[in-house]
Amino acid sequence: MIRQIKRLLALRYRISMQMYLAIGGAVALTIAASFVGWVSFNRVGTAQSRVAEESVPELGAAFRIAEYSGTLAAAAPRLTASTGPEELEAVSAEISAAQHGFEEQILLLQQYTGDTRFEEIRVNAQTVLFHLLFNINAIEATMPELYVLTSSAEELRLELIELRSRLDDIIVPEIDDQLFYQLTGYQTLGEPAVARVIHLSETEFDRYRHLAGLRADTTLAAQLLSSAFSVSNAALIEPLQESFESAAGRLRISSSALGDSTISSDVQPILSRLFEMGTQEGDGFDLLLRKRQLEDQQQHLLGENRQLAVELVNGVNGLVTAAEQKADSANVASTQALQTGRTLLLVISAVGVCGAVVISWGFVGRVLLRRIGQLSDRMRHMADGNLEGEVGVHGKDEVAEMAAALEVFRRHALEVQRLNLVEKLAEELGEKNSQLEDVLAELQRAQDQIVMREKLVALGEVTAGVAHEIRNPLNFVKNFSEASQELIEELEEIYEEIDGEPSEDDQELIDEILQDLTDNLGRIRNHSERANRIVHDMLMMGRGGGEWRTVDLNLLLDEHALLAYHSARASDTEFQLDLQRDLDPAMGEIEAIPQDLGRTFLNMVGNSCHATHKKRMALLESDEPREPYMPTILLVTRRKAHKAIVTIRDNGTGIPSEVLDKIFNPFFTTKATDEGTGLGLALSNDIIRQHGGTIKVNSEAGEFTEMIMELPLTRPELAPIPGENSSVLEEA
Amino acid sequence: MRQGIEIAFHEVNEQGGVHGRQLRLVSLDDTYEPELAIDNTIRLIEEEQVFALIGEVGTPTSRSATPVAATAKVPFVAPFTGAAFLRDDDWQNIVNLRASYAQETEEMVERMTSDLGIERIAIMYQDDSFGRTGYQGALAALERRDMEPVSVGLYPRNTVAVKTGLLDLRAGRPEGVIIIGAYEPVAALISWARHTGFDPVFITISFVGSNALAQELGQYGEGVYVTQVVPFPTDTSIPIVAAYLKALDSFSVDSEPGFVSLEGYMAGRLAIAGLDGCGPDLSRDCFLDTLLQSESMALDSFPLQFGEGDNQGSDRVFLTVIGPNGRYRPTDTLLER
Repeated sequence: MIRQIKRLLALRYRISMQMYLAIGGAVALTIAASFVGWVSFNRVGTAQSRVAEESVPELGAAFRIAEYSGTLAAAAPRLTASTGPEELEAVSAEISAAQHGFEEQILLLQQYTGDTRFEEIRVNAQTVLFHLLFNINAIEATMPELYVLTSSAEELRLELIELRSRLDDIIVPEIDDQLFYQLTGYQTLGEPAVARVIHLSETEFDRYRHLAGLRADTTLAAQLLSSAFSVSNAALIEPLQESFESAAGRLRISSSALGDSTISSDVQPILSRLFEMGTQEGDGFDLLLRKRQLEDQQQHLLGENRQLAVELVNGVNGLVTAAEQKADSANVASTQALQTGRTLLLVISAVGVCGAVVISWGFVGRVLLRRIGQLSDRMRHMADGNLEGEVGVHGKDEVAEMAAALEVFRRHALEVQRLNLVEKLAEELGEKNSQLEDVLAELQRAQDQIVMREKLVALGEVTAGVAHEIRNPLNFVKNFSEASQELIEELEEIYEEIDGEPSEDDQELIDEILQDLTDNLGRIRNHSERANRIVHDMLMMGRGGGEWRTVDLNLLLDEHALLAYHSARASDTEFQLDLQRDLDPAMGEIEAIPQDLGRTFLNMVGNSCHATHKKRMALLESDEPREPYMPTILLVTRRKAHKAIVTIRDNGTGIPSEVLDKIFNPFFTTKATDEGTGLGLALSNDIIRQHGGTIKVNSEAGEFTEMIMELPLTRPELAPIPGENSSVLEEA
Repeated sequence: MRQGIEIAFHEVNEQGGVHGRQLRLVSLDDTYEPELAIDNTIRLIEEEQVFALIGEVGTPTSRSATPVAATAKVPFVAPFTGAAFLRDDDWQNIVNLRASYAQETEEMVERMTSDLGIERIAIMYQDDSFGRTGYQGALAALERRDMEPVSVGLYPRNTVAVKTGLLDLRAGRPEGVIIIGAYEPVAALISWARHTGFDPVFITISFVGSNALAQELGQYGEGVYVTQVVPFPTDTSIPIVAAYLKALDSFSVDSEPGFVSLEGYMAGRLAIAGLDGCGPDLSRDCFLDTLLQSESMALDSFPLQFGEGDNQGSDRVFLTVIGPNGRYRPTDTLLER
């Protein structure tokens, strides 16, 4: 139980637990914010629904009422301005629509409000509307009659113009003619003038007077009627009619005074019509009077309506204002709710942001990131190969676990690194080996080349020696042949001198000569054989792949020593040598590869020749007083129980002790570069070892050099197969 | 007037038109009523979409039509009137062909004073804007000579009630009478005057309708002078008249030549000259510019003079007189009677 509580308590160090706590806090904050938002929106919603459900419709209704009242206010002037029944119908339809709409909106408004002030305004507006509509209906009712009257009046006006024009057409020329006649007496074109008594008579004056009266009064009557069209007050028509009647009276007098003349008959119907206009009911003045009265009535109603319209509009404006105020207050409530919600949300957001900042800076930044950063640095160093130093482990959380794991990893890595090092070394070694093998192969090839060169050098030396060796026997052969020839000539002379039986002296002489000849021939034969053997030996020596066979060691040594000697002498005429031999007569034959062994001897004796010659030449060149020096080489052979010992000793320059142990190294030489390869002794060493023998060197610088070779008598069991160092000659 | 324009258009259309365009005359009758003149002008411009208006007859009708045409910027060519207002500088779209009434009345006064040495001159005019225009012109002409009319008579428009006016004229005992009026009352006036033994020199203005006047006058016509703004319509020595007669002949066989017809022909020719001068790319501005900026031009050697502040082509006034046979003949002075 306690353990479990402890375990749970320990969990508080875990990042996961801390993270859960942080996220839980954030979630809690979010939920709180959401809750506040929800509450705010709810309040806003309530306020808005008040706006939407009450204020907006109210406002809308008020606005529509305003609109309708505008239409209604303008209705009366539109009615009076209408020009015909169709237009009237359209306008009245609009009016009734507006009226209907108005009432509908008023009803609508009634539903929303209990405000008494509002109610008062509404009732007032409705009362005004009632008056307005009453007036409008009154105007509307007069309109059909007014249309008829207007159209009649227009007809009347046109008729009046026409009547005047017709009267003028008749009366103006008539007066023109009457005046001219009265003054001049001429009445008809082409006829002479009448007597003055006639054209200046009382009758004619009367006629002119009445014509003039007719013209004046028709003009006046027409003018009076015309005036009636444009009076501003119905009351003014009566005096016009009065004047018209008096003019009509005068016209009656004038027209009757003109009697039954043409003019009278033409004018009469026009005048009758004119009189009708003046007096008849529903015509002329009466018509215009009625029209004027109607118009006055309308004007009155219109004036009233204007007043009513103003009242209505004012009332409606009051409605609108009241509705607007309500809407405003609802809006204010809504705005306040919004404001509160916004503030709360802001506060919670700020708290959330601060919390996030604190968590991210205090926990994530300071605790987590810094430590993870340390770990990361360590990992990077490890990645770069730096595995030294322990990874610090602090705390009890996941980072600490990671650090511990990293430490384990580091140790493993160290181990692996070491293993890797060994492997790498092995690899490098293998690489070196293979390089060495390559070098070795290269060396082998170089050695082969050098050996070949060495063989050629040796061959050169041998050739010089051989030439000398062969020349000697050949000289002998030649000399003895010549001597034999002289003996034969001598013998022939004897035989010519002797005729018959030779004398004893002669016989003795002949026998002596023949003996000499026989000796000579024997010598020729010996020398020929010798030459033959030299050539044979040379061939044998040049032929590389020498074979194991039994060989006379003394002979082999002697021959090659001679070859070396002759070779040295051939290369330098000043060469001198005392070649001494101490050969064991019991030496006999041993098993060897004569070509190789001979080459060894040749080389060693050649070296001795060189050393002694060098010493002699050095002594000759030096001015120091000295003992007489004779270059000497001593060849010694001894046969032991199981081995043969060959010693070659010279009194040459000797070998300095510091290089004594290097002389068998390949390419070591004291000679000039073009004189030796430095391989001679190395090869000799190889050959002796091939034969299962050994070489020892004793030397003292400036005094002597002694090479002691020990060779087994028989072929060693593991002796190398001959021919590895193939012969140059054979290949050539 | 209409026939004269038709003749000119027909003539040019026969020759392939102006730069390939065929000309068409759309004619509407305004019965000398100003209101109808406005309606017709609007209709021609908006419905018929005419390029230009030509040959409007009458002073009051022109007075009504010109504002409409000016607003629409439609050329208003060769109206059949000599009224002064059409010669105003402010118009951008009016091209006058004929001499003004003022020039005609000036010619009348000039002839009477210089040819005959007449000092007593009376004026008779129709009591409307036309008559008053002529009256003003005559008054101005007299004033230039420090004269004034010895008597003035007038008569109501559209009547023949001229006798009262005759009495007024007679009262001044004039030697010469200038008459501005329509042919019927003018004829009545002269007839009655001569019948009653009042026989001064009568000169009347071109607008009367010369042929109708002569016909109406009958026996009273001889020696009545009429001023004209176009040459004598049968005088073939004048190229434009010869061309007119030729075109008239090919247009209609039984048409008689006349002053108004000739003026119509010349109006048509003037319009054609404007169209032709513009080339193929025709515009109203170009048309007006071609005519009004031309300074001097000629219709078959009949000289026309336009220019700055002068939208009137011809300044010439021709004098004719009615012969014993009731036929007109051209004259240069009032001495031939």
